[in-house]
Amino acid sequence: MNNRLFLFDLDATITKVEILPALADQVGMAEQIAELTEKTMRGELPFQSSFLMRVEMLKSIPVSKVSEIVARTPLNEKLVSFIAEHKERCYIVTGNLDVWIEELVKKIGLPMTHCYCSAASVENDTLVRVNSVLDKALVVQQFVQPVVAVGDGSNDADMVQMAEVGIGFGGVRPIAYSLMSNATHAVYDEDRLCDFLRMLCE
Amino acid sequence: MKNNVTIVISCAGMGTRLGLGCTKALVEVEGKTLIERQLEILKDYEDIRVVVGYQAEKVIGVVNSVRKDVLFVFNHDYRNTGTGASFYLGAKHGREYAVALDGDLLVHPDDLIRVIEYDGSCVGGTTPSTDNPWTMPTQLIRGVEHVTGFSKEYGDYEWTGLAKVRTDQLQPGTRHVFHLIEPMLPLPMVYIRTKEIDTIDDYERAVKWVRNGYED
Repeated sequence: MNNRLFLFDLDATITKVEILPALADQVGMAEQIAELTEKTMRGELPFQSSFLMRVEMLKSIPVSKVSEIVARTPLNEKLVSFIAEHKERCYIVTGNLDVWIEELVKKIGLPMTHCYCSAASVENDTLVRVNSVLDKALVVQQFVQPVVAVGDGSNDADMVQMAEVGIGFGGVRPIAYSLMSNATHAVYDEDRLCDFLRMLCE
Repeated sequence: MKNNVTIVISCAGMGTRLGLGCTKALVEVEGKTLIERQLEILKDYEDIRVVVGYQAEKVIGVVNSVRKDVLFVFNHDYRNTGTGASFYLGAKHGREYAVALDGDLLVHPDDLIRVIEYDGSCVGGTTPSTDNPWTMPTQLIRGVEHVTGFSKEYGDYEWTGLAKVRTDQLQPGTRHVFHLIEPMLPLPMVYIRTKEIDTIDDYERAVKWVRNGYED
């Protein structure tokens, strides 16, 4: 067995849908959020500013409510099984907020120590400020073991480029062009992705 | 059917020789592209990898319309490297054996299966038919014809780009697939029926061949 570690984007890689647009339904801003998300994933808007805009639109929802909705996001179950089988080697790398995704990460079966994400402060169940927005490329640089990175959006492109094996996963949504130009592999079927990940474990 | 095989279809090149505006694997013969024909023959195999470069998205779209469970491998340096580089990238992290198949090879379905199902490593050879081909001298070893080299000067069979080798014996390379295979020789040769499509005349011959049930 080798020392490879596995880094996964969360939205539309582990989850079957984008998390923020699903949340936006709650505040009647589904269209605006979906549009911002699409533009960001295609690389037409910088992730950081777009993410902060989207958080601003959603922060009126109580954090506990967001967390509850996010935890119900449908998952790519075979990929979740792979993660469960290889807990020690798997990490989630997402721009999403710690206070929103903690329950979902638990459901996936990983401790928060295996989740790199953006961070926010909460007072009285209300999100008061975003403290940091995750830069995925910086996360990859920290690892001293060879890394396999899996993602779909434009904000995954650097992470995928820096990995030993960088995989674009198009099972949920089209893979961003910038990611395709930096990936070593692309796959559109969850079973095939999991088979390949298992080969990479050997 | 063997399941210890990774099949690597190289579709990264530009296929400029035919003068068509697309990679040669996307050339249509009798209503189906060459890559679609190959995928149909390979429908029962699990680990199919298509190496893409030039017009990657177009190739991915065509392949995905036939089957979704293909692993795509990028050869981003397709302008400067040959099929050897693509084969190496595709076979990496693969199963016990890797089969090299050019995306533009029009091959008799039975012969492709014979190479994949061959018990051990082998090299596909055919009767020389193209201009200035790479040919393969052979030698009988224990009654089986073995390829002993690749040459521009001598050899009774033409190299086809089709071969099955042990994945753990592959070393990185940037030129032809046969450069990766050379250190493994001698290897048994399997005769295959194929049509090369380099000119419009070739193309018309290929269409007739397919229409005629892969018979001349």
